[in-house]
Amino acid sequence: MTEEKAHSPTHHSHSHQPESRIVMPGELLFDRPERISYAFIDGGKTYSTVVGLFSEGKLVPLEGPYEPLVDDLVVGLVTEVKFAGYSVDINTAYPAFLSSRETRERFEMGDTIFARITMIDEVRSIELGEARKLPAGRLVKVSSVKVPRIIGKKNSMLEMLSKQTGCEIYVGRNGYVWIAGKGNASLAEKAIRMIEVQAHTRGLTDRVAAFLKEEHGR
Amino acid sequence: MSQAESNKPKLLVDGKRIDGRATDELRPIRIVARVLNDADGSAYVEWGKNKVLAGVYGPSECIPRHDQSLYRSVVRCRYNMAPFSGAEEHGRSGPSRRSRELSKVIKEAFENVIISENFPRTQIEIFVEVLQSDGGTRCAAITAASVALADAGIPMKDLITAVAVGKIDGQMAIDLGKEEDNFGESDMPLAFSLRTGELLLFQMDGLLTREELQKGIAMAKAAAQKVHKLQVEAIRKVYEEPREERFLPVKGALEK
Repeated sequence: MTEEKAHSPTHHSHSHQPESRIVMPGELLFDRPERISYAFIDGGKTYSTVVGLFSEGKLVPLEGPYEPLVDDLVVGLVTEVKFAGYSVDINTAYPAFLSSRETRERFEMGDTIFARITMIDEVRSIELGEARKLPAGRLVKVSSVKVPRIIGKKNSMLEMLSKQTGCEIYVGRNGYVWIAGKGNASLAEKAIRMIEVQAHTRGLTDRVAAFLKEEHGR
Repeated sequence: MSQAESNKPKLLVDGKRIDGRATDELRPIRIVARVLNDADGSAYVEWGKNKVLAGVYGPSECIPRHDQSLYRSVVRCRYNMAPFSGAEEHGRSGPSRRSRELSKVIKEAFENVIISENFPRTQIEIFVEVLQSDGGTRCAAITAASVALADAGIPMKDLITAVAVGKIDGQMAIDLGKEEDNFGESDMPLAFSLRTGELLLFQMDGLLTREELQKGIAMAKAAAQKVHKLQVEAIRKVYEEPREERFLPVKGALEK
């Protein structure tokens, strides 16, 4: 976080909060009704519903369950082979189904796949498509809200991770990360854990780079 | 109450209580968030001699399916006292009449704040284990569960904060300990949503006059503000001092 000690009396009509701050459930965000995600309106005022980072009128949750959306690319585990397709665990409370018609490949129970969410219905049944089997590797489960940090701006973090560890890394929007390839998978896993714990801090890419460099020298 | 009046210790001497507290003084409280590896959210609370561990799981698939709702997530709670948590009747293991009641009232308190419509067909489970008890465990349990729910990222309209208030030797006092609860005239656990001032838990043992009740609620609310601050601090600490390993702090680990 930037330590802006100066009490600059901001009179910008649009930017209420000059810097980001951690907010709690029930904490006041705006004195007026404002439709933003992870917030609710009560008595004409807007309050947070989650522990989150609030900056520039936007609230980003720091923790929370994966909320599946159509077109999300996810890493999934095949949990059941059925007559018409496959049941897939994609880190949600809701069942995800991959129809046999959607794929030419055949999967087995325990396979790890990379797929796109093609449909979510009104009772949150999920259908998958564009599935492909992932090569042998290991699964790292992280909180889905940290996924943007693992990918980084324009893929920067992910590219650095793959390059420095020599692994193929598949990051599912659902928080499942698959580390494959011949590289240093345990180093990649350590780095991903580090990103998960420090996801809300600044200058993370540099710190991860330093960590990878130091560990690589060993 | 079969306790002979002669066994009753003096609960108030010169305005000081058995443990030296003033009537509006809380016991020392420490809260740590995120202590369990496999729970989605967790918290550990030491409240005087009470030690309480809370874990939250979910939203996950609701089983059995006939309990599912197409409109909201089902909130479940299990309050349990460890068989070693205290003397006497609390020493037995397994659910008792009392722990089932507390599970129910805790669940109902949280149903008021959890935005369960976001997760149809699922369940959210709250587990509270009392490791050591010394009066006021339900307030400690609610305080811990609230932090654990926030840690799990479950959307809520507010954190819930609970404080008990009671009457000892004819005076209103907050946060009764075990002796005060046993020998006092009245004990009233309260849980607040401080954002709105709503009461989400309101129980009472013994009797109070209308005036005493009103005074008690005001005293508890003032104390709840202090507990709320500690809850917020505990959640903040997860992010301000990030640590990779999660652990249950042993004695000394909680000291500042």
